[in-house]
Amino acid sequence: MTPAVEVHDLTVAYQQKPALWDVDLTVTPGSLMGIVGPNGAGKTTLLKAILGLIPVVSGDVLVHGRPYRQQRRRVAYVPQKSSVDWDFPTTVFDLVRMGTYGRLGWFRRPSRAENDMTRQALAQVGLTDFRDRQIGQLSGGQQQRAFLARSLVQEADVFVLDEPFQGVDAVTERAVIDILRKLRDEGKTILVVHHDLTTVPTYFDAVTLLNVQVIASGAVGEIFTPENLHRAYGEAAR
Amino acid sequence: MILFPHLGPELNETVYLMAAVAAACAVPGVFLVLRRMVLVGDAISHVLLLGIVLAYFVVKDAASPLLFFGAAAVGVLTVALVEGLQRTKLLKEDAAIGLVFPFLFSLGTLLASMYLRNTHLDVDRVLLGSAELAFRDRLTVGGRDLGPRAFVLLGGTFVVFVLLIALFYKELKLCTFDPGLAAVLGFLPAVVHYALMTSVSLATVAAFDAVGPVLVLAFFAVPPVMARLLTKRLVWMLVLSVILAVTAAVTGTLLAIELDITIAGTVAGVLGAMFAVVYLFAPRAGVLAEMIRRVRMWREFHETLLTVHLHRHAGTPAEAEESRVDGLHEHLNWTEPQTAAVVRRAVANGLMVRAGDCWKLTDTGRKRAEEIVGPRLGERGASAP
Repeated sequence: MTPAVEVHDLTVAYQQKPALWDVDLTVTPGSLMGIVGPNGAGKTTLLKAILGLIPVVSGDVLVHGRPYRQQRRRVAYVPQKSSVDWDFPTTVFDLVRMGTYGRLGWFRRPSRAENDMTRQALAQVGLTDFRDRQIGQLSGGQQQRAFLARSLVQEADVFVLDEPFQGVDAVTERAVIDILRKLRDEGKTILVVHHDLTTVPTYFDAVTLLNVQVIASGAVGEIFTPENLHRAYGEAAR
Repeated sequence: MILFPHLGPELNETVYLMAAVAAACAVPGVFLVLRRMVLVGDAISHVLLLGIVLAYFVVKDAASPLLFFGAAAVGVLTVALVEGLQRTKLLKEDAAIGLVFPFLFSLGTLLASMYLRNTHLDVDRVLLGSAELAFRDRLTVGGRDLGPRAFVLLGGTFVVFVLLIALFYKELKLCTFDPGLAAVLGFLPAVVHYALMTSVSLATVAAFDAVGPVLVLAFFAVPPVMARLLTKRLVWMLVLSVILAVTAAVTGTLLAIELDITIAGTVAGVLGAMFAVVYLFAPRAGVLAEMIRRVRMWREFHETLLTVHLHRHAGTPAEAEESRVDGLHEHLNWTEPQTAAVVRRAVANGLMVRAGDCWKLTDTGRKRAEEIVGPRLGERGASAP
């Protein structure tokens, strides 16, 4: 089976200082994978490099067997909540509908099909009643769910989420993980940058331990061991 | 066309010119404000002089349209320089702007004062603009007078902006709000970014001969900021920015003509005054609306607190004492007038009623309290299976 995501020999450097060192990563389709590692391990950098958002020194990324650049539309991206200006003059509905812009391409405007998709995604994350609010009037958890809804309308096969549980309430955390599991059950592949080690075994079925290099990657049961955690985090994890 | 009959045709044209400046600057200004790049706009509006001077050295003609493009090019170069410096991570954006803009600006003024003393490119005029004189420089095509050159230029710029936004609204919005997602979805945020910066440069260079860089900056920043306080949608922010900018321009110009004072200065003053009004009285985001909202929340909170207090003691031996009409303020450690005010509103809102010497919760009041503290312990036990 062709892997959903294949990363080969990926190196990213900021000012000659490697943030990712020769990373190899294979993600099988239908897995819900957590990417964990200490601060500065390059978790967000890895996601951004996979998505072609930052220049890489070496290596390449294949999505379902073909270069990412040819497969852009098959990958949905949920950036960190803090990456956008929540005072921006737009409504929740508009925010979610932005996910459909990819299938529209240049010039074409959203029409009924896109509006229907948007409504459906809003319902899925439980934000139907908030659709006309300015996005800054949502709570942190609602903002995260709006971001997730926006990725749902991208009709992607691979979902890439950066810290979706950062600063959200318990209700949102459960709602998000439920939706991610449902996506996995539909055969989608999900990569999640995550920082809470205690929830890794319950949330994910695969895990990548990252600390500039890949320490270990594979099924949670095999990889998420004290020895590997120690290698990724150093003494602090003991 | 004469809209203000009490003024001569020349002054009428001055009013239209100012309106055109306002409209042409307010549109890219919206995106400058949303991208937090107003200071970059400030830098661009000052360094254009350098572009004009350099282009003049090449073409040796102060009326050449190439001066226009030379200036716009230097504007874009400024943005590139600022961003290049930022990328080195050695300094932040504000410092980078502070480094690039005085350098290029002083280079421009130096060159102008050294080599161009005898042309009409003098420094004072370039800094403050001269809307009053703009009607003299007219654009004629095939012998037909189309109006002051600056007005035609700015009107044209505005129309082009409106067309571009109509075509690329979705792209502009996405690239401004979330460039990361824009890139992932296959759009080109960097291209859109530089197209916007080019528009800003073009608007500035078209406008600053008439009004000078300071008023250009005021038109970039103030109308969009006002509009942002008035609406939660980008499209309305654009429309309102233009309306507010034109209103300020026309009012300010008429006022300046009436009082015989500087037009650019008066318009900037009117913009400031309008901003103060919007800032204070905007229906949703204004200071007053915010204060009213706080008072409301404060009152509601105190009423709820009162219901919780009565609810907690209802049915206990201490109830008579804790809910006494004349003793409530002591238990809550509030002043008597404050307690009376809260009680009056709670009664008016149907949360509690007087029963003899005591206050009792109504059903509504009890529900309000239970939303906070849940059902009372005994009742919870009784309702459990």
